[in-house]
Amino acid sequence: MTGPAPSRRPASRRLCDVARIVRSKNAGPGLLTIDLFFNSEADYAAAIAAEGLRAEAVAERYGVSANRVRRIPYPLANAIKITMDRKMTAGSPGDGDVYGAQQHALLLDVEIPEGPEGEMS
Amino acid sequence: MSKLEPVRLMSASGQLGYGVLKPAFERGLAHEPHMIGADMGSVDPGPAYLGMGKMATDPEITRRDLTMLLEGARGLGVPLIIGTAGTAGAAPHLDAVLDMVRGIARDRGLSFKLASIRADIPKERVLQARRAGELSPLGAFPEATDADITESPHIVAQMDEAPFVAALEGGADVVIAGRACDTAIYTTVALMRGHDRALSTHMAKIIECASLCCDPGGRDSIMATLDGDGFTLDCMNPDRHASPTSVAAHALYEQGDPFTVREPGGELDLSKAVYTALDEHRVRVSGALWRDMKPSLKLEAAAPAGFRCAFFAGTSDPRVIERIETIWTEVKSIVSGLAGEDAGDLLRARFYGLNGVVNWPSPPDMPPREIGILVECVAPTRERAKAVITVTKQYFLHHGFPGRLSTAGNLAFPFTPPELEVGPAWRFSLHHVMQISDRAEMRDLFPIAYEDL
Repeated sequence: MTGPAPSRRPASRRLCDVARIVRSKNAGPGLLTIDLFFNSEADYAAAIAAEGLRAEAVAERYGVSANRVRRIPYPLANAIKITMDRKMTAGSPGDGDVYGAQQHALLLDVEIPEGPEGEMS
Repeated sequence: MSKLEPVRLMSASGQLGYGVLKPAFERGLAHEPHMIGADMGSVDPGPAYLGMGKMATDPEITRRDLTMLLEGARGLGVPLIIGTAGTAGAAPHLDAVLDMVRGIARDRGLSFKLASIRADIPKERVLQARRAGELSPLGAFPEATDADITESPHIVAQMDEAPFVAALEGGADVVIAGRACDTAIYTTVALMRGHDRALSTHMAKIIECASLCCDPGGRDSIMATLDGDGFTLDCMNPDRHASPTSVAAHALYEQGDPFTVREPGGELDLSKAVYTALDEHRVRVSGALWRDMKPSLKLEAAAPAGFRCAFFAGTSDPRVIERIETIWTEVKSIVSGLAGEDAGDLLRARFYGLNGVVNWPSPPDMPPREIGILVECVAPTRERAKAVITVTKQYFLHHGFPGRLSTAGNLAFPFTPPELEVGPAWRFSLHHVMQISDRAEMRDLFPIAYEDL
């Protein structure tokens, strides 16, 4: 094969390319909870280390104050839980997502840098 | 150490009234459970059902599900326990379900002792708690005002298993409860047989969603067998398997914190829980811990928020789409001039395709070819909502702006009349924890009535 030398693998992938499941839902009418599930410990570790998935970064994306966002690692299922206060109580006039089931999309393009073991396919 | 007789608990459904799947249910009956349970509601579908006193499920399917469970439980002669009757578990929901149960017993020739447990908390009791500083909002929910309490048609509290235990001790064969902790449905029989509270509560927390903890998840009946050291989960649909990962992952579902579950009498701690595969289909669970706490109750209520009218339309015009926010601001201003100054504040628009679902921080790279437009007006009265929405629809349709191409109309309506009277709007008015004096009050607040059918 000819051509330029293979460049390095892309340094980052997006969350939607890495995660197996990205979902959001209410946990009671005042809380929104987001679950991220990964296929492997390596992907989980890369996501845990990602700058864009820190509680502060998630808070900024969702426009809520950082002290209203909790991130809970759940290694038992290679999962990360992110829980935040809802800006509006579920189902009140002005709320556009009664179940909170479609609020995950804001996270889908968060960059997940390859971890140190990320050289493997 | 397990000297305790194992007890088999069958969760027939996590949402009774949406259709219980018969094959798995019948397979469950063949395992001879010691009780059959089903959850029938939650706050998930929003405040309207609690406020209006109406069920979210269809009456025909609900009657079908109830019939299946009543006949199954009576056939085996084991207790049937149903929690959060009729979606929200207030008096009208409970009464509607009790009427169905009486009708089914009559039609099917079933005879049994029925216990019903009410979960409506008197407003006076809640006002008293508020004055005593014993009413606190959950999370970021606002503090309750007196009006939040007095304007709510129904205030319910989630009962724990104490009233269920009393009902079974009172000889009930079938227990239909108003608002209840979903766990209480299943802990009742386990605790009465001397099982550990931590394990019982963890078991109940998993099976109350039926086979949702399996892979693939689903809505089939599931069996838990609890002994002195742990419990085994066995889905009654052979194609849905419980695995250690699928069951552990279920702890995340609709929970703010996967390690801690707050219950009326204490806290379930799952940080030491262990999930082990027994085979390809079944999982063994142990290791949950329990901490007793001062008893408290979770209260829920919904208050009227006005009357809602709406219209839905679409547009495919690029010039309308590109300036939709400006057009909307101008239309609101015209409507305010015509229909009263506050009219603009009563109106809300969602532009599906742009920002109808998520509040995106920036516009899309490529504008969409079409957008859907939902405009709603929530006003103090039906007449006012109707007047404002009608004027808004017409001025939105014909709003002129520089460079307009489609001068015959900005909107496509999918039906006529385009204006919908959606109905009363509701808001959650209470999502609070109320301190109660002691365990005895837990029983007093949830009165039990018996009838022989």
